[in-house]
Amino acid sequence: MVKKELLKNEQIERVLSPHPLSFMKLQALCIFLIIWGIVVWWLTNSSEYASMFSGNMWYRLILWGLVLLFIGVVASLVAIQWLIFFLYLGVFAGGLSLIFSQHWEKDIALFIPLYSIAVSIVGFLIVELYRRSHKYIITDFRVIFKGGIFTKRERTIRYDKIADIDAKQGILGQIFGFGTIIPVSQSGFGLGSDKTMAAGGIEVGAKKVGLFGFAGGGKELQTPIARSYYELHGVYPYKDVKQLVENLVQTHVPTQYQKEQVEFEKQQVDIQKQMRDLLHKQISEKPRKKAVKQTTEEEPDEEEREEEKTSTEKNPVPEDAYQPEQVDIQQQMKELLKKQKTARVIQPDEDTEDEIEEEDESEQERKEST
Amino acid sequence: MATVPLNVDSLIGAALAPILGVAAFWFLQLIFIEIQKRMLLSLHHRHEAFCRFTNYIGILFQTICQALGYTVTRSGIASFQVTVNYGEVQPKKEKTGVLDWIARSFLLFGPFFIPAGFVLLASCFIIGKGFVFQTPVHYTFVESLTGFVANLSTFANEFVSFLINIDLFNPIHVGFFFVLLFFGFGIRPSYIGEERKEKIDILHDLMLIKDHLVKKPLYIIAIVFIIYVFFLLSLFLNPMVYVGFFSIVGWMSLTAIMVLLLTYPVLLLIKSTDEIRTHWKIIPFITLVVSYVIARVLFIYYPIKQDESISLLIMILSTALITIILIKYKRTNRFKTASKMKHTRNADGKKRTSKKRAD
Repeated sequence: MVKKELLKNEQIERVLSPHPLSFMKLQALCIFLIIWGIVVWWLTNSSEYASMFSGNMWYRLILWGLVLLFIGVVASLVAIQWLIFFLYLGVFAGGLSLIFSQHWEKDIALFIPLYSIAVSIVGFLIVELYRRSHKYIITDFRVIFKGGIFTKRERTIRYDKIADIDAKQGILGQIFGFGTIIPVSQSGFGLGSDKTMAAGGIEVGAKKVGLFGFAGGGKELQTPIARSYYELHGVYPYKDVKQLVENLVQTHVPTQYQKEQVEFEKQQVDIQKQMRDLLHKQISEKPRKKAVKQTTEEEPDEEEREEEKTSTEKNPVPEDAYQPEQVDIQQQMKELLKKQKTARVIQPDEDTEDEIEEEDESEQERKEST
Repeated sequence: MATVPLNVDSLIGAALAPILGVAAFWFLQLIFIEIQKRMLLSLHHRHEAFCRFTNYIGILFQTICQALGYTVTRSGIASFQVTVNYGEVQPKKEKTGVLDWIARSFLLFGPFFIPAGFVLLASCFIIGKGFVFQTPVHYTFVESLTGFVANLSTFANEFVSFLINIDLFNPIHVGFFFVLLFFGFGIRPSYIGEERKEKIDILHDLMLIKDHLVKKPLYIIAIVFIIYVFFLLSLFLNPMVYVGFFSIVGWMSLTAIMVLLLTYPVLLLIKSTDEIRTHWKIIPFITLVVSYVIARVLFIYYPIKQDESISLLIMILSTALITIILIKYKRTNRFKTASKMKHTRNADGKKRTSKKRAD
């Protein structure tokens, strides 16, 4: 299945999925539901405060619902995610509708813990399903992120497009060895912002003319943030995966030395192209016999050209035997050779040094022969 | 003002008695910590995550103690960092002399007493009984020591009776029980791991403390002098204060010992289940919960006295029994090795198999 999606010559390094405890924030919502359901049951039945709730059976429901919604608001504000509040509101509303539709008003005491446990189990299953929908494929070319239960989302990022790697490991991650790695792309994908706002209002006057004052302040912080299906969320083993991704990014991003190498090779290729053109020009202006021979042959390989070049260098024809154009070509070639030589001197590799020495020797021989 | 007889027993012996008592309990605490360390070390290979968790709690408390030291000495806290492997607190101002010594004392002694102090504070609210100070009648070494021990025994009685009668259907009791376990795994100021094995020894802790005390003998003399002045003041004004102060320190040690003792069955259960095959090892943990619930529900319909403690007893016995049975009949493969066994090969290079050849 995965192999079909790979590019030509692409190899999988690792296929990962989030750690079961990496979605603890979502699981904690379910855990709180269970705990609070049991606490309400104990508080209204077995505790010393049970008599307070014996008068009216709705008191239990009010207590359960109010605390649930209050925690929902607080958690939503802390996590800047209103989904938590609406989730708890949905749980409360669902509970209410079940009580009214099934006429379980008399069994509220037992209903609250059982309903909380049942809803939490469903919640755990959904979280698990969501976790299992994630798949991260690390290949030698790119990282593929997949996720989503109903809407399948996918992101692919090549290593040479990764500008920055953000990695984080919480307490649970440190204990169980998982963590989150966010590759931030050059376009800024993977970066988000945390916004905080403070606002207040006051209304002065009651009937027609009212004065409304509003004071506010805002702060925005840019931070690496992404959906769990756009990052390597809660991957295990965190350290190994981080090392692997960093190594792969390192091998795909050219370093300063590599850039210099590429520049140097470009220069060399330019010089060789110019020399080839000059050789062509020189050959075309040589006596007809040789020119005819040259045209009958197929396009010469680079090796053959090199041989030809060296042979012409080794056995130079006296300058006065050619036209003045030939002399110009030879001078240009000399200049190009010099340029090539100086460029090679800047890159003092062992191989290039040997080549330079060989060329020097050949030039000396040529001079001697002339 | 009380009349005090002028003799050595009253003026020196009575002062020494509670200090010796605290020292004795602290050494006892050290031994229990050492036992826990050894138990955790034996679990380390199979339960790395669990050991990392206990390390984290231990390091957290140690770092909190260090931070407290810097706060008390008004050095300020520049950075506070806690991870599974290390904790780091940087002071804003580097203090020298007595303040530096006090800050270091917090780091060395704090982890033995401060987490236990938190548990003691929580038990004040949950247990609420047993915090009684008995005033010595006579000012002698024996009387003073008896008063100190009596204070501790009253507290220990209440604490143990709470644990025996703990109601696991009560969320507050369950919460407190988990707090006890949490602190029990954290009252251990050392790191469990293969890399720093030499540093988890009781001797290492004691050596550090000895070095710290020997380095500045003048400070020790000053502390002894202050304690003696405190003793003399309380002797003439209210002798209960002196013994009471050391009794609180003794309660901390005693609390630490009890929470450490509470963690032993948990560690023993984890270690025992390692002997059981993969899928069967969950059975003892299920038995632990199910047996208690069944017993409690049963006693709701057939009420008896001491139903909570009997339910606890049923839970412990049934879990132990099930574990023993599973170890006997569903024991894990003993030949399983930590590293993969290589294929054994014959001299000709072919794989050795158990199947007999047809020829």
